[in-house]
Amino acid sequence: MSYDTVVIGAGLAGLTAALRLTEQGQRVLVVARGVGATHLAPATVDVLGYLGENRIEDPASSVATLVASSGDHPYAHIAADQLATALNWFSARAGALGYVGGLERNLLLPTALGVPKPSALAPRTMSGGDLTAGGRFVFVGLKGFKDFHPTLIADNLAGARLPAPVAARALELELPPGRRVDMSGRVIAGQFDNERLSEWLIAALKDRVEPDERIGVPAVLGLRRADDTWRELETRLERTVFEVSTLPPSIPGIRLFDALASALRAGGTRMVLGVRAVGARTSDARIEAVDVANATGTVSHATDAVVLASGGFASGGLELDSFGATHETVFDLPLIGVPDTGRVRFAPAYFDAQPLSAAGVGIDDLLRPVDAKGHPVYANLHAAGAILGGAVPWKEKSGTGISVATGYAAAGAILAPATRAISEAMR
Amino acid sequence: MSSLEADVLVIGGGSTGVGVARDAALRGFSTILVERRDLADGTTGRFHGLLHSGGRYAVKDPSAARECIVENRILRLTAADCVEDTGGLFVSTPWDDPEYGDLFLDGCRATGVPAEEIPVAEALRREPRVNPDIRRAFLVPDAALDPWKLVWGCARSAEEHGARILPYHKVLDLEVDGDRVVGAHVRSERSGEDVAIRATVVINAAGAWAGQIAKFAHCTVNVRAGMGLMIAMNHRLVHMCVNRCKRPADGDILLPLRTACVIGTTDVFVPDPDKTEIRQEDIDLLLDEGDKLVPGFRQARALHAWAGVRPLFEDTAVVAETRDVTRSHALLDHSTREGVAGFVTITGGKTTTFRLMAEAAVDAACEQLGGPRPCSTAEVPLAGSERHTLYQIGHRLAAREPVPQSEEIICECELITRARLEDTIKQRDTTSLDDIRRLLRLAMGPCQGGFCIYRATGILHQDGNVDREGANRTLLDFLEERWKGVHPILHGDQLRQARLDDWIFQGILDVEHLPV
Repeated sequence: MSYDTVVIGAGLAGLTAALRLTEQGQRVLVVARGVGATHLAPATVDVLGYLGENRIEDPASSVATLVASSGDHPYAHIAADQLATALNWFSARAGALGYVGGLERNLLLPTALGVPKPSALAPRTMSGGDLTAGGRFVFVGLKGFKDFHPTLIADNLAGARLPAPVAARALELELPPGRRVDMSGRVIAGQFDNERLSEWLIAALKDRVEPDERIGVPAVLGLRRADDTWRELETRLERTVFEVSTLPPSIPGIRLFDALASALRAGGTRMVLGVRAVGARTSDARIEAVDVANATGTVSHATDAVVLASGGFASGGLELDSFGATHETVFDLPLIGVPDTGRVRFAPAYFDAQPLSAAGVGIDDLLRPVDAKGHPVYANLHAAGAILGGAVPWKEKSGTGISVATGYAAAGAILAPATRAISEAMR
Repeated sequence: MSSLEADVLVIGGGSTGVGVARDAALRGFSTILVERRDLADGTTGRFHGLLHSGGRYAVKDPSAARECIVENRILRLTAADCVEDTGGLFVSTPWDDPEYGDLFLDGCRATGVPAEEIPVAEALRREPRVNPDIRRAFLVPDAALDPWKLVWGCARSAEEHGARILPYHKVLDLEVDGDRVVGAHVRSERSGEDVAIRATVVINAAGAWAGQIAKFAHCTVNVRAGMGLMIAMNHRLVHMCVNRCKRPADGDILLPLRTACVIGTTDVFVPDPDKTEIRQEDIDLLLDEGDKLVPGFRQARALHAWAGVRPLFEDTAVVAETRDVTRSHALLDHSTREGVAGFVTITGGKTTTFRLMAEAAVDAACEQLGGPRPCSTAEVPLAGSERHTLYQIGHRLAAREPVPQSEEIICECELITRARLEDTIKQRDTTSLDDIRRLLRLAMGPCQGGFCIYRATGILHQDGNVDREGANRTLLDFLEERWKGVHPILHGDQLRQARLDDWIFQGILDVEHLPV
């Protein structure tokens, strides 16, 4: 059995690439050690939120500024119109989540600490929390759910730097009796799906919310029926209702994973989790097959192309050993952003610039990992997502944007005839 | 400026200081203790956690060994709740001279430390991860000691007997009247208020900082600070305290501590006990030595590194190697040494013998307080240890298991419930997550606070203990403080964890843009 493309990694970048390839009729295999960062991060698409200390209002032009000063940044390998195309494509594919927003203006969504965070796109269940226009907000906590503290959110928003005045207050609700005391987001989401917790929530909020208040709730409105639940809350409460992201696991992130994964399966793509890509059979600077280790041994999957979307240090795509050496864990690719002399030492102050924070693989404009001279390591290997060097996504607030854009572009590089011609020529 | 008065003023809130305060209070003296930071924030809270059997000192420091085994037996009874009876194992690895084992056995016999040689196969059965190439193995009654529980247990007991314990009170000066120390000026580091404390006897239990205190009374105490590095690993790679059977050196102890294990230690002289630096070569040394004891140690997950300073007392000659300074304690009565009455220094020693040191210091103080009074700390147990039930790993789990989900668990790593957290905040009257950490072990597990710190901050704020600025400040301070112990050992799976924590705090919560 041979594949057109093997995608390594089932995070946002891997799923995006796999879905685009699947749609174009490719035979695709997705292998991953487990689910990716979708389950950790809010399902917002953050293209660019900060350039240094400056909060970004318009991601489109700020990405251009960023790229002009940082040629190693993953966005430097994405054409401006391709970024917009990628986001549109993504919004359409994740239609179930109903993405709102665009590249012209960032939304400012409150975090679970009450910090306004810039995002280009947000699912419609979250976008109502946009703070840019100001207004009155009430944040509703559920006693027994420890991953959401509405009082702190409301208080911090009162001190936040915002373009228009915001008034925020907190409300803490006792869950109906008989529920478990210690509930995770997943358990509450299940109760919204299966036990009509929304009836209780509507009754509990009905007389306690002012007419002009928008209602923020923790992002636990369900997995299967979240959109219905959210609509029901908005309709019956006659207010804007929005979810606020909490600590992992991210319920909206799981919805996004489920939406993309089911689209993939519907397209006939195989997705195998719980396995590990461990290397490749290569010939003439091409990958001919990817070796995948499962519980019983190693299987070699012949393929025409590979997308490496195995994530950064957090996901195990990159690794720092105890002797201070940094490795890419599947193909041992060359890395950029790694201190070249001696061993890695981290800065003693947590918020200082840290070595390795922008470490990862360097790529060419076809998103192929390159060596120190800028030559592609393998003609048919493309990389996407958090494994790419040159960005500090958690500071820039660019992680999901990079994943969608590069996942989309990696698929594009595989599909584009021009790429094919070059690969063939090198063969 | 307010003023206080007591029979005994104790300076220093480590194990020795709280031991002295408790001892003095139990003997009926009115007692005040001042500590410039939090209790157990100096040496005690930064040691490896080994309740010595004395085996480590049996060959080269017999008097220290004798003290250790006596105190080991006492603490198993009086501070049972702070002691996990892990047992100790001394092993001869391929890097150690097996004949040292004979010296070791002789030393143990001579000092009264029970030691028994067991077959290597038996040792490996008990500790399957230990290097299979060990050549000899010996059992001793080492144990693991929880320093925070011990210090707070002593402090609470002292308070029950009328003592006042004042953490975050720094000594600015001693009050000297002629040839007598009559008290101290201290400043509250929290409120900024100055307090004059008058006392009949001042006991200097400032450990590695004792020289600085003595100077205020123009006395000389030569304490050198011997810095020791420790690394906590994510799992109990061993279940007993495993020691190399050789002359004590660097990186030769690996012991279980609650759900983690700790490798120690190094010994480097530092001129200033407040200036410790974790050097990469010391980290590498500990990892390499760990690999000799437990092959694969380098691939295991290192959670946290920290340095403590031993107070090493030397009376005269300069000693080049700090390991050659005796680990026995030093009691200095400054009335006989320098003619300064009302002032006693107790320093040197180690946490295992803190009770004995306290007894000696209070005995000396008694002479200036109207005559001897009997010490009872060897018999009176701490709260929680009345039935002499030793701590067991799994106590917290056992308490939670019969009633799952009956309470919110704020810290899953250390199984800390919301009620316990809220009680502690109230009891400690503190708004510092770092203070709470020391009491509850909050954020000391594998995720190093990735999940519980947001929750604890929210609870601290919601209960009205801190305003917004206070909540944000303690959260950010905590992240900075935690990073100090994390960044020196960051590699492998712990870097994965740290990156996840970066995502949580910076990517999801965006703490960098909190209003402060």
